[in-house]
Amino acid sequence: MAFNILIVDDSPAMRRVVRRVVDIAGVDVGNYLEAGNGVEALVVLRTEWVDLIMTDINMPEMDGEELLLEVRNDPALATIPVLVVSTDRSQGRVRQMISLGADGYVSKPFLPETLSLEMYRLLGGTPNESF
Amino acid sequence: MKASEFAGLISECCSEVLDAMYFTTVLDSQLKESMPEAEPDEADSLSFDLQFVGHISGHFGLHLAQATARNLAANFLGEEETDISSAEAGEVAGELSNMLCGSVMSRVEGDDKFVLSHPEPCNFVVRAGVDDVLISRLDTDNGAITVWVVIDGEPCRP
Repeated sequence: MAFNILIVDDSPAMRRVVRRVVDIAGVDVGNYLEAGNGVEALVVLRTEWVDLIMTDINMPEMDGEELLLEVRNDPALATIPVLVVSTDRSQGRVRQMISLGADGYVSKPFLPETLSLEMYRLLGGTPNESF
Repeated sequence: MKASEFAGLISECCSEVLDAMYFTTVLDSQLKESMPEAEPDEADSLSFDLQFVGHISGHFGLHLAQATARNLAANFLGEEETDISSAEAGEVAGELSNMLCGSVMSRVEGDDKFVLSHPEPCNFVVRAGVDDVLISRLDTDNGAITVWVVIDGEPCRP
């Protein structure tokens, strides 16, 4: 089964790196979808099928926290797994995002294996042996 | 908290971020009195600055030569250095400033939340003695990176 993955980050370079890690991990990806902030992400989510959202927190216009709340409060989107990928490693922030409904939290800098394992945990399956 | 108290953290966090995501080793770090002036040449260099707001608020920035930014971008994106455009080198340098600041502030703020602004190119100069600032030069196997932290006077909350 191929998964559609939405990567939400205001840094195009970071979106590229996440895509690369996903590729190396051997996840069967149908489509990579990208957004530069929460507002753009919601537009994508309301027009495309998405199996996993990977989102940063600090972004202009709508940050990751607001995006998470919008997703969890929308019955059509509420069951999509959300993996937070952020530079903010404070325990207060991690606890807050999990309590708001995030399914996982990976802090930057991350090891490719860490991101890969979290993705497989949320999507099912086994990581590529190269990890 | 004074900027000078960031000295150990800067070196530790920069080493961690550069090693994990840029495959770059910090060989040496030194505290400096001012930003580099003639070296690297301004026309061939990049500077980025962002604001952090938490228990402690201020600015965090970095300055590096284009060639260094290109090396780091190649490592970060997994591309050949010759395939990296100036725009990509700039994007990756901006993301580096974001990750370095996030790493430092996560240690400083501990359990508390903080907010970072989007990194922006900048051309201002900070000088020790004028601002509450810490300037550190990191020599890496991909070139030198100068980072600075400026602490604002009044503590504020996000």
